[in-house]
Amino acid sequence: MKINIQFLTLGLFLLLFSSCEEEFTPNPSGDGPKYVVEGYIEAGEDAFIPYLLLTRTFDFYGEISPDQFTESFVHDADVRVSDGSIEVVFQEICFSELDSAIREQVAEQFGFDPDSLTIDFCVYLDLLNQLQPQEGKTYDLRINAGGDLITASTHIPIHVPLERITFKPPPGEPNDSLAQMVCFIADPPGEKNFYRYLVATNEGTLETGFSSVEEDLFFDGLIFEFQLLNPKTSSGDVEPQEFGLYFVGDTITVKWSSIDEANFDFWNTLEFSNANQGPFSSYTRLESNITGGLGIWGGYSVSHYTQVVTY
Amino acid sequence: MTIIAFSLDHMRTTLLRTLLSGFWCLLAMVVNAQVKHTISGYVKDSRTGETLIGANVFLENDATTGTVTNTYGFFSITLPEGPQLLVFSYLGYQSRIEPLILNANINLNIGMDKGIAMQEVVVSAAGEEEDENVQSTSMGRVTLPMEQIKVLPALLGEVDVLKTLQLLPGVSSAGEGSSGFYVRGGGADQNLVLLDEAVVYNSGHFLGFFSVFNADAIKNTTLIKGGIPAVYGGRLSSVLDIQMKEGNNQQFEGEGGIGLISSRLTLEGPIVKDKSSFLISGRRTYGFDLAQPLIRQTDFAGTNYFFYDLNAKINYQFSQKDRLYLSGYFGRDVLTLAQPGRDFGFKLPYGNATTTLRWNHLFNDKLFFNLSAIYNDYQFRAGFKQEEFSFDVFSGVRDFSAKFDFDYFPSNEHQIKTGLHATQHRLTPNVITGNAGDVEFENTAVAKYGNEYALYIQDDWKISSWFRVNLGLRATMFQQVGPYTSSITGETYNNGEVVTTYNSMEPRLFVNTALHPNASLKAGVTATTQYLHLVSNSSSTLPADVWVPSSELVKPQRGWQYAAGYFQNIRKNEYEASVEVYYKSLRDQIDYRESYVDNSVDQVETEFVFGDGKAYGLEFLLRKNKGALNGWIGYTLSRTDRTFPDIENGRTYPTTYDRTHDLSIVTNYNLTNKLIAGFVFVYATGKSYTPPERVYLIDGELQTDYGPRNSQRLEPYHRMDISLTYIPNPTSTKNFTSEWVFSIYNVYNRQNTFFLYTDYETDLQSGTAEVKAYKVSIFPILPSITWNFKFK
Repeated sequence: MKINIQFLTLGLFLLLFSSCEEEFTPNPSGDGPKYVVEGYIEAGEDAFIPYLLLTRTFDFYGEISPDQFTESFVHDADVRVSDGSIEVVFQEICFSELDSAIREQVAEQFGFDPDSLTIDFCVYLDLLNQLQPQEGKTYDLRINAGGDLITASTHIPIHVPLERITFKPPPGEPNDSLAQMVCFIADPPGEKNFYRYLVATNEGTLETGFSSVEEDLFFDGLIFEFQLLNPKTSSGDVEPQEFGLYFVGDTITVKWSSIDEANFDFWNTLEFSNANQGPFSSYTRLESNITGGLGIWGGYSVSHYTQVVTY
Repeated sequence: MTIIAFSLDHMRTTLLRTLLSGFWCLLAMVVNAQVKHTISGYVKDSRTGETLIGANVFLENDATTGTVTNTYGFFSITLPEGPQLLVFSYLGYQSRIEPLILNANINLNIGMDKGIAMQEVVVSAAGEEEDENVQSTSMGRVTLPMEQIKVLPALLGEVDVLKTLQLLPGVSSAGEGSSGFYVRGGGADQNLVLLDEAVVYNSGHFLGFFSVFNADAIKNTTLIKGGIPAVYGGRLSSVLDIQMKEGNNQQFEGEGGIGLISSRLTLEGPIVKDKSSFLISGRRTYGFDLAQPLIRQTDFAGTNYFFYDLNAKINYQFSQKDRLYLSGYFGRDVLTLAQPGRDFGFKLPYGNATTTLRWNHLFNDKLFFNLSAIYNDYQFRAGFKQEEFSFDVFSGVRDFSAKFDFDYFPSNEHQIKTGLHATQHRLTPNVITGNAGDVEFENTAVAKYGNEYALYIQDDWKISSWFRVNLGLRATMFQQVGPYTSSITGETYNNGEVVTTYNSMEPRLFVNTALHPNASLKAGVTATTQYLHLVSNSSSTLPADVWVPSSELVKPQRGWQYAAGYFQNIRKNEYEASVEVYYKSLRDQIDYRESYVDNSVDQVETEFVFGDGKAYGLEFLLRKNKGALNGWIGYTLSRTDRTFPDIENGRTYPTTYDRTHDLSIVTNYNLTNKLIAGFVFVYATGKSYTPPERVYLIDGELQTDYGPRNSQRLEPYHRMDISLTYIPNPTSTKNFTSEWVFSIYNVYNRQNTFFLYTDYETDLQSGTAEVKAYKVSIFPILPSITWNFKFK
């Protein structure tokens, strides 16, 4: 429900005027790289164990090689997460250190082919799941990377599940191979709620479209019906008639999460920044909850829904 | 810094005291003024009966004894008894000398004829004997005749007043092809744009590429970028005062044109000859209408876009003392996107409507009164529908205003203006309503209300033959009123109940010291307060941007401008030259917080941050007013920056419209009596922008880490345009005449950057990524042709 008039008028604009574009390189900053945190901590059914990636930024230039990606990972950092009663030190594990069976499992989880992967991904994780993340708790992150201190805090809100998911025929002209997904939610009244969703198709990896987060600004306290767009058909090169729709017969899994406001703000600014490029756009700085770096340390309370697309 | 702040405050207090003392002395002098005879009346175009604004009226043997006609063409001049030769002169018209035997008060209406060469552009604001631009106290004030604007090159042939104004020193463009403008470092919302006294809240069509002002309906355009007289207020930076034509009260006639983008038709004529006339003028685009047969063959049948303007005006002269004017403007942009195959529809209409009713009354030959009742309404709507889901967004501004203005001409030494203005504002933010199946939803945004009052007095005082001063004081008050529920205290206010009150005393002082009959030094101080604000998250203002009032959450913006200049006319006014310096201090400026996302929050004010700004610059103008070749060269050296504590921890940064150098060369040349050539060249320092400095991986995709705001610049902007106007029969007296205007925009096909974007290709499987940025230019060399016609 974001109103992006610029986006709508851009197409019209380009219809009228031929434009000409030329590649250019902004002057480098000379200030060196920054730390980047991408961390997740989940509570709920089928929750993934807490983990985070700690990397450095790349300068803004033409191409990034596999070696540069691999070198961007920050090693040997002291990563600790506390829920106020216990503190857990996260272990660093790199893809290259895993035995082949686990490597395949991890690769499948993230959608990679383990045999041709050229980047040596490294993550810090609560390997034994000692934290046992819970709804309603706050988790403080503290990283010491070569003497540099990086901190963040996230809250896992009480989960608001989807009431149900149904599919119905696509709008407009009949097409029995396509379907739109309709969800229902009973939003708790009187409090701000923030949501994020991801969708996997036919047991593939979970993906997000151009807009994965929503707040209850317009439906606070309502039993509300809304569509969830298919990430596979709502970004990249897609046929206009398939936009956001699902294919009848596919099996889809929706990962539905309640998130805190800082987590919402991060993804909201990220998605707005990515979608909002054009003739009248201003830059959007991603709103991060990380002190001492960029990125997100995000808490989720999650539920999963798997259904066959049919109506 | 504390000392400087104290000094400025002290200076302002002293200035206020001086002004008040000055008014007291002034009243005493008025009472003691010696008895003379007064000549008063109207100056008009002899052919059409249109009153002429700013026409010069002065003594033939003493050009310093004179006056100018006011907004309604009225003048009053008091002279000693006996024979007098009175000269009337006006832009592009033949000067007229009236011999008078003055032994009583005289009522005199003067008709003036246009220049002998019908198509010759005579820009002179005065006869050879008179130097209004040197002698007046006005600074930073430019009047552009429509005749000159019409022969200059125009983007796609659309004559545009606002784009021509951008060619003046101190005025910069909002971007390639844009009609938006910034004046001396002020924001886009800090320009008071008036059409027949009604505020125009959005002056652009098609995302600002074309202005809403149809050149055929306009009589006069004045831009005041510096010394804003006390009669104007409500914006910090400038006043753009546009008056519509009244309509020919002598004979019926029409004019129009067919261009690439739009066509125009204007009809005007007498209702009662010499007493009453009408004008109606329309313009509409049709590119997408013509393309409908093709669009209907696609999946997007029903998609369309057009804009139109409609201007109308009637007036009636009840007597020599009473006149009534009713004028209105209505314009809309309408975008419709449709995809019937998906049951998808989107409609986006927006535009302005204004109505102005004015009553001129002469109490006596020295006291002119005008009462204006004004209604204006800017509406923006967006509606989306797909199957059972729909939502509508509405925002806008609606004003009711009343203005009581007096022009008092007690003697030739004084011209006093005083008045009272009152406006009731209703400002509606993005109010959203919608349906999802059976469930209705809405946000809680509601309209805000405010009452704005202004009481002003100003005197243009000729203290001696070499020293003039314009003293002014404008006292303003703004009240936010209910219905309203405070988001701070939770208190509820009923209809009309005052929530917050702001006051301001705005002194205006301009002095002119004549160094020579053709040269003067001027200086001025202008204080301004702005109670309505438009904050944009875009690189340029857009129709969806929301105006918000000052309130318990938002303070008024305040500004002080100090300016000084040297003005000289050369070779009997063939050339005008001026150098002006200015310093502008801006307080309580508004911007969106960093990381703002347009999520249709209920109170957009909660997304604002506040700071200060400053702007200073040096402007040169050399203008040739006479002869076959005329035009101007303008150059500005300037700096504009802002400091917001909540943006980058208070780092001072340049605005996107900061231009260190800005040069314009504008000429037109009468090649023959059938051909007029126009030429425009502009050069400006590149726009500042916020550079992408780093990228980083999140969720497998690269994201941008931006550097400091506006810390880098694009390459300089420059462009040349040419035009040729061909008049097949310039001396024709036939009932139907026409002309062709050929125009080429961007003659040497300069690829000026319009916007930047980044493009990232990431393939984590192969471990590679490409990080690219592109600059996009939109207007290559663009020829156009327009056919204009007139009939009677």
